[in-house]
Amino acid sequence: MAKRKIDGGFTEPDMTPMIDIVFQLLTFFMIVSNFEDTKADERVKLPKDTLAKPPEVKPKEELVLNVGFIRDSNGAKLSNDPVVFYAGEDIPIEKIKQSLETEKRLFERTGGKGVIKDVSIIIRADSEVPTGLIQRLIRICQEAEFTKFSLKATQED
Amino acid sequence: MKLAKRDAGASKVEVPMAPMIDITFQLLIFFMLNLKIIAPEGNFDINMPIGAPSQAQDDDVNLPDIKVGLKSDAQGNLTQLTLGQKNLGNDDAAFDRLSGEILKIIVRPGNPLTKDIEVEIDADYELQYKYVIKAVSRCTGRLDPQTGQLVRYIEKIKFAPPHEPKGA
Repeated sequence: MAKRKIDGGFTEPDMTPMIDIVFQLLTFFMIVSNFEDTKADERVKLPKDTLAKPPEVKPKEELVLNVGFIRDSNGAKLSNDPVVFYAGEDIPIEKIKQSLETEKRLFERTGGKGVIKDVSIIIRADSEVPTGLIQRLIRICQEAEFTKFSLKATQED
Repeated sequence: MKLAKRDAGASKVEVPMAPMIDITFQLLIFFMLNLKIIAPEGNFDINMPIGAPSQAQDDDVNLPDIKVGLKSDAQGNLTQLTLGQKNLGNDDAAFDRLSGEILKIIVRPGNPLTKDIEVEIDADYELQYKYVIKAVSRCTGRLDPQTGQLVRYIEKIKFAPPHEPKGA
């Protein structure tokens, strides 16, 4: 490292290159970090697809439902019955109705009576979940009067 | 800011760097720890109006729905992909054939007809969800190999009424 000689005999390291690099790193991490709350659950291994492009227009109101399996730290399934990861709890699909009713009431309280028609249900389902259960989930959502649905997939290169 | 004046240089003023470096490192560590690498995710919209899903709106539209069938074994693996009555196989190439067949039906991408055509996905109960996404994706469009832009085929996708599990 370049050393600058100061009178008196002791040397002071030149800080400029280090500060340059640190600022570069800082700028990089600031730009890359994403504070958006996506409500995505990391336990869900989404299917991959080339057409999965992030939507250009975000739905005004959305409710994300994460459907996946309870897995151990290595990713092996602990149970074959998929659950909905909702508000920190693991709820079996058949029992999600109550939570949906609660969500519906919340949406109606903030947005008025008809708002439920504009709420998109975003289904983030694990790639191995049986399709019949997803359809069952959609049916339960329909019973709670939700009408818009989107299926999520991760982008594949 | 406190400036330390030194006698040595005629009028040289030195800014203390230590506090700034401290803060900068703090910020750097904060942003590093906050970094979450998430793959970009995309949506496939599906059309599921309330009411009997099989209730066809044939009054104003004369175009028949395209029926894509996905059959599976008990483990959820795809055993057969069909389009209408046509068997397309069960491998990766089957999905490419599906894409080709859809293109044949809509004649050309962006055809005004595509606004009225609906694809009905009829999947077995056990079938793994990834195959459904694949089928939905192939019906919605494809990526242009040259430009990388999305070429849209059919926008409206719906599910057929669910099947019962095989064991039941």
